Amino acid sequence: MAAADIVGKSVTRPDAWDKVTGGRGYPVNVQLPGMLHGKLLRSPYAHARIISIDTSEAEKLPGVKGVLTAKDAPVRPFNPVYFTPIGCHSMVQDMVLFSDRVRFVGQPVAAVAATTEAIAEQALQLIDVDYEELPTVFDPEEAMGENAPQLHEASPQNIAKNPSFEVGDVEAGFAEADHVFEGVYQTQRVHTCYMEPRVCVIDCDAQGHFTVHSSMQHIFGLREKLAYALDIPEGRVTVVKPPYIGGGFGGKLDIGYIEMAAALLSERIGRPVRIEHTRHEDFISTARHPIKVYLKTGVSKDGTITAREAKSILDTGAHATHGSEVIMVHGMFGVVFPYRCANKKWEGYTVYTNNMIGGGYRGYGCPQGCFAVESQIDEICEELGFDPIEFRLKNAYEQGDPHPFNPAWNLNSYGYAEALERGAAAIDWSRRQPAGSETGVKKRGIGLGTQGVWVSGCMGFPDIYEHTGAIIKLNADGSADLASGTVDLGSGQITTLCQIAAAELGLEPEQVRMSYADTDTVPFDAPTHASRATYSSGLAVQAAAADAREKLLEVAAAMMEANPQDLEVSAGRIEVKGSPGSAIPVADVVRMAESPFMKDTAEGPQPSCPPEHKGTIMGSSSLAPPENPSPATALFVEVEVDTDTGEVSVLRCVYAHDLGRVINPNAAEGQVEGGMQQGIGYALMEDLQFDTETGTCLTSDFLDYKMPTAMEMPREIESIFVETNEPSGPFGAKSLSEQCVTVPAAAIAAAVYNAIGVRIRELPITPEKVLRALGKL
Amino acid sequence: MKQLITLNINGEQHELALSPDTTLLKALRQELGMLGTKRGCDTSACGCCTVHLDGKAVYSCVVYAAAVQDCEITTIEGLGSNGTLDPLQEAFVEAGAVQCGFCTCGMIMSAKQLLDEQDHPDEEQIRQAISGNLCRCTGYTKIVDAIKMASEA
Repeated sequence: MAAADIVGKSVTRPDAWDKVTGGRGYPVNVQLPGMLHGKLLRSPYAHARIISIDTSEAEKLPGVKGVLTAKDAPVRPFNPVYFTPIGCHSMVQDMVLFSDRVRFVGQPVAAVAATTEAIAEQALQLIDVDYEELPTVFDPEEAMGENAPQLHEASPQNIAKNPSFEVGDVEAGFAEADHVFEGVYQTQRVHTCYMEPRVCVIDCDAQGHFTVHSSMQHIFGLREKLAYALDIPEGRVTVVKPPYIGGGFGGKLDIGYIEMAAALLSERIGRPVRIEHTRHEDFISTARHPIKVYLKTGVSKDGTITAREAKSILDTGAHATHGSEVIMVHGMFGVVFPYRCANKKWEGYTVYTNNMIGGGYRGYGCPQGCFAVESQIDEICEELGFDPIEFRLKNAYEQGDPHPFNPAWNLNSYGYAEALERGAAAIDWSRRQPAGSETGVKKRGIGLGTQGVWVSGCMGFPDIYEHTGAIIKLNADGSADLASGTVDLGSGQITTLCQIAAAELGLEPEQVRMSYADTDTVPFDAPTHASRATYSSGLAVQAAAADAREKLLEVAAAMMEANPQDLEVSAGRIEVKGSPGSAIPVADVVRMAESPFMKDTAEGPQPSCPPEHKGTIMGSSSLAPPENPSPATALFVEVEVDTDTGEVSVLRCVYAHDLGRVINPNAAEGQVEGGMQQGIGYALMEDLQFDTETGTCLTSDFLDYKMPTAMEMPREIESIFVETNEPSGPFGAKSLSEQCVTVPAAAIAAAVYNAIGVRIRELPITPEKVLRALGKL
Repeated sequence: MKQLITLNINGEQHELALSPDTTLLKALRQELGMLGTKRGCDTSACGCCTVHLDGKAVYSCVVYAAAVQDCEITTIEGLGSNGTLDPLQEAFVEAGAVQCGFCTCGMIMSAKQLLDEQDHPDEEQIRQAISGNLCRCTGYTKIVDAIKMASEA
């Protein structure tokens, strides 16, 4: 198959065969000889001081091998987020493993390792903790008040971070406006709901070297953070890349309490320690942050946005963790960047409360911003009579414009307008009726949401890793092994990166295999996050493949007595360009390079190929991508609202994405369809709820936390791929994943408005809120 | 405390000494090393642990192993025969219905009961049959496609 045919083909996922027959490669399946089982004791109080902990009874229980409390744990504060280096300025370092103070219900206070899980659980019951309760605060705006309990001494008024951005003259922009719109948009706390619980198995050997198996999305970040937290050199930690993990979606982007506890227990006991979360523990360990957005927009008569001012309040919970960075991404990409506007001002607050800690979640602050911005645009269009498509096109960036994130770059590929136009045609936008005009109990509506500027990785962000690398090694049978630190969370990198390698190397896709990797053996790789794997890891894989290809052709040229520049490789064969009869298999060339045999010549025995070409044919790369090209997205949805029950059903979605060149259409559709499931859940039903008195999670299992099943999903999800060709991308590709979850809430909210004529500015749009909006409750 | 029980799994007898509160899921994963059946929640809500008891799909996390000694238990490892996959497994690969794959085995077991009982289910019946199995990656679209594909094979 020629390169042009490999890219853009729905190559079957090689891992699918294993996954349909049982699936061996998950971290949850890792078992080591002599392995112990760990459990964490968690605080029942949202805010308390620990007066004393007595572990003596637990230690006496037969089968218990070790107990840890604050006195055994390092005290150096850290931020657990993987993708920022230790010591970077943007992240607030406010966490330790165990301390004498707890700030949320579920904060670990001790850990136990025992021969069985049951014994470890029993031992937790025997630990006697004496708490002194402290006053609590759960609402971030209350927490910013003068009299609120202070959760961290270094952060007055509980403000962990307060970034701002200003361009132009906002007051002049509002003075210039003919209309000014103001609204408050509130989003809720939701969980990533990866299906495989967080788990780790950590083995500290007799020399004090740690081998780590974990379900995390970043092997190098885990190595760095674990070494820092334990105060040991990074060289004493090896993190093994799991062949696959059971979903992550950003929820596995920080070092968990479990990795630190398991490492310390293993070091102390000298046996491997495994800790696996219960689903309850998963639910209280990471979440998309709730953000309240105060948004004000000035618009001139002709529909030009003249000014925009916003304030965002993010509830980060007990520690800053991702909240330090999410607020920035939310403010810039969610609120400030999507539309052109000369006068903008934004201020963000990351606020401590006694709620659970927020985390990373696909979209990383952007779904919250998109809901606010796109909802208000829908309000503006409704009020002033603009067509929502034309209004957006008037204010959107165009291909060739300077990138709002970095003026040194341009939007060299930017299919925003085409996504809108093709999506509108597919849903037949012209049949959309005036809001609330349908009669009858069940009312239908059509809505639109877009995301203009987003990322393909983190190039350009201060303090976030974005370099990546790969190693490709050719085998004597003509196949290739690709080793990369990029973890496949399920989104298909095992397949797409092999396609990129095959296309560049001139092999068939099934001849490239994603092989073993760990932090000892492959170049540094930033996490699988920020929609970066296809673009950034793809570039590194392409570069490594090009390196291997160059060496391959040098050896082949020597064998064929040709010039390397005159050779080409395709479908596993090398030939002199334009001379198919000259072709020799790649396998022959690799064998020749690796062969110890000599050939007899008139001058006596000679190496079978020149000595300088002897050896394994391989290529490597370690690089940072040149840019951060923006994808673009437009989503059209049709909903039906039952005005008797308040229930909203999403009937149909047309989701148009500019993702550059599509590497694997089937995998790309999978991103879109799965993104809709998460987006519909966010829009209509998902909500991590807490008791307002105690701070206890009320929805910490799938019986109480509702996410869409196959029944709640629309029967029609149409993916439209606007294939702009991104000049800096691997074979023209850029990104897709996060855009798929960013827009649905905004589009569904607009469709609900179109159906019933009443605006709901607070997610999720539950039947109760719909009935309340209709005046029926 | 432990009692000796016999489980009939995929046509083979297994003798195990288990405490009476051992779930079938734990017996499969921890005692027998049959790792295809996954633990996603332990509260009968996610479907990752779905197996068949006498041909009916059940959550193995809420069934005591000792209580199902008279049943024929089928797990994902029992599908297909003589090295060939079940048509459902083939269809899941072919349709691109597998992403992270953690729900896949349970999903296939739920679909298997449907196809065992019904030759050509319609889309609503397929969706109903897998509505007790959660998936966070696929939006279920290609899973439904795969089950349709297998029903037509």
